[in-house]
Amino acid sequence: MSLHTGANGTTHWMRLNPRMLLVHPVHEVLRQLPLVIGSLVFGSATGNPWWVVLALVLTVTIGVLRWFTTGYRIAPDEIQLRSGLLQRKVLSLPRNRIRSVSTDARLLHRLLGLTVLRVGTGQEAAGNNEFALDAVAAEQVPRLRAILLADSLNAPEQAGKPGRVLARWHPAWLRYSPLSLTGLAMVLAMVGVAYQVGAASALRDSRLAQSGLDLAQRYGAAATAASAAIVVMAASVALSVLRSLVSYGNLLLRRDAELLHLEHGLLRVRENTFDMRRLRGGTLREALLVRAFGGARLDAVMTGVNGAGESSLLLPPCPVATAQTVLTDLIGNPDAASGPLRGHGPAATRRRWTRALLIPAILAPVGMVVGVPLWAWALWAGMTVGCALLGFDRSRSLGHRVSGGWLVARSGSLERRRDCISGAGIIGWTVRQSWPQRRAGLATLIAATAAGVKRYQVIDVPAELAWSIAAEASPWVAHNRWAQD
Amino acid sequence: MLILIQLMWIAVDPRGMWLHAAAAGMTVLGIVAFVVIAPLWRYRVHRWEISLASGPPAVYTRTGWITQERRIVPISRVQTVDTYRGPLDRLFGLANVTVTTASSAGAVRIEALDSDVADRVVAQLTDIAAIGAQDAT
Repeated sequence: MSLHTGANGTTHWMRLNPRMLLVHPVHEVLRQLPLVIGSLVFGSATGNPWWVVLALVLTVTIGVLRWFTTGYRIAPDEIQLRSGLLQRKVLSLPRNRIRSVSTDARLLHRLLGLTVLRVGTGQEAAGNNEFALDAVAAEQVPRLRAILLADSLNAPEQAGKPGRVLARWHPAWLRYSPLSLTGLAMVLAMVGVAYQVGAASALRDSRLAQSGLDLAQRYGAAATAASAAIVVMAASVALSVLRSLVSYGNLLLRRDAELLHLEHGLLRVRENTFDMRRLRGGTLREALLVRAFGGARLDAVMTGVNGAGESSLLLPPCPVATAQTVLTDLIGNPDAASGPLRGHGPAATRRRWTRALLIPAILAPVGMVVGVPLWAWALWAGMTVGCALLGFDRSRSLGHRVSGGWLVARSGSLERRRDCISGAGIIGWTVRQSWPQRRAGLATLIAATAAGVKRYQVIDVPAELAWSIAAEASPWVAHNRWAQD
Repeated sequence: MLILIQLMWIAVDPRGMWLHAAAAGMTVLGIVAFVVIAPLWRYRVHRWEISLASGPPAVYTRTGWITQERRIVPISRVQTVDTYRGPLDRLFGLANVTVTTASSAGAVRIEALDSDVADRVVAQLTDIAAIGAQDAT
């Protein structure tokens, strides 16, 4: 707080790091690339190269001016960020509302020793309303972080006394990365972009394609298709492993008393600091293939952190034992993290099966009436088996548990999740029954929290148990006469 | 709206009267379901209460018809209390009260109260909610 305090008690406006004078113009040129390309085309059409120079000078000037017009100030009770060239904007944040400070350094920033510093409040700010200092010198970050978090934490960060390491990245974690679909998605995206650019027609005339066609004629279409599929698979595996390595290599999760530090990234370094008092639980997420190889991903359930995307991620897919150990350490309840769950009974199992087999059951008479060829029936049989397996797995994974004030709910198959929610963090309960559920004597219990994805469901519990589960997790429900039945 | 579409359809394409009859029948059924059955059913299901007698004070609602929901929120976690009166609500002297919490899944909506009841509810809720001065997350 003594930082930058002027003689009369007010604080100075600080500039961002001067090295941003190099970064801003580059970013500006990249952002205005269409304009630059347009000027290039226009310049070559009119035979006057000065258009290009003019466009470049203009964008670079705007980039440089951006540095001169941006400033921040750390006042005793609030922080402010002002920016904008033509449209001035001042963003103010009360300091006691600061919940987290995260940093992010892309490649260009890292080369220049700079870091983007983001200040998070309880609200989910997006785009322009985000308080981001882009950028300050990397060596300033620990000091700024301590200053910014000092108010909300009431506990000065003990420099030189790093906390316990909860988890450290291990190369073996890479084996889970090809199991997600990101690699395949990236391959498809690249092919799409290549088509857009017009590579397809170029490729068709090229010698590579000609030789490919020759091969296809020699070995038959099936073999060519199979080898193409293998190439795509290999590329997607390589890409996803590479992406996982680059973004999570050197991941380090550290806990200093009330703070949780997450640091990861080889090229683009990201660092998050979470306030442990905002933690309301954790979610173990196991995608089907990852689960088959004994892996799980860990997400934090925190107020002020979006529960769905990457911002809540604590551990990427890693051995399930590691994820459970870390979760136990965070919530201090081993039963909630890994204890056995109570199943939801035969009615819930029946409902999972009916729902899974509904589509094949509808398709079968339709197929009989319309009269489809034999291969379609083979397809139908395969689909039915798949649906049955899905129903089996879904009914098996259903379960819940209340222990020591923690609500645990598990459901799903393709994307199975085990949510552990603190009873103290639950701010409302809903019992929902659709018509089929009422007939089957089941209900879906929904716990509302201010954290994570906001709603956590316990699917298809026996209706008579719904309120007693709620009452067990948050005792105030038990005293309410509405919640007796 | 549906009736209009069907009249236009008949005007444009007067062939196949049985198809038109079937569509008209469906429309009538839909109208009966949503204009007669749904409101009566909803009226039978919908309940609300602000319970103060036993345990911590809480707001309770029961809503829905085919899918029914019961929701309970302790008043200590209430963040805002709004009333909303649309043109139809005002015509019939009604008001809707929405009680929000810090969770998007935790808002309680009490629909179609008499407006003086609604005013009383809002006053009562804000009185009780003001006592607990915590963060309510």
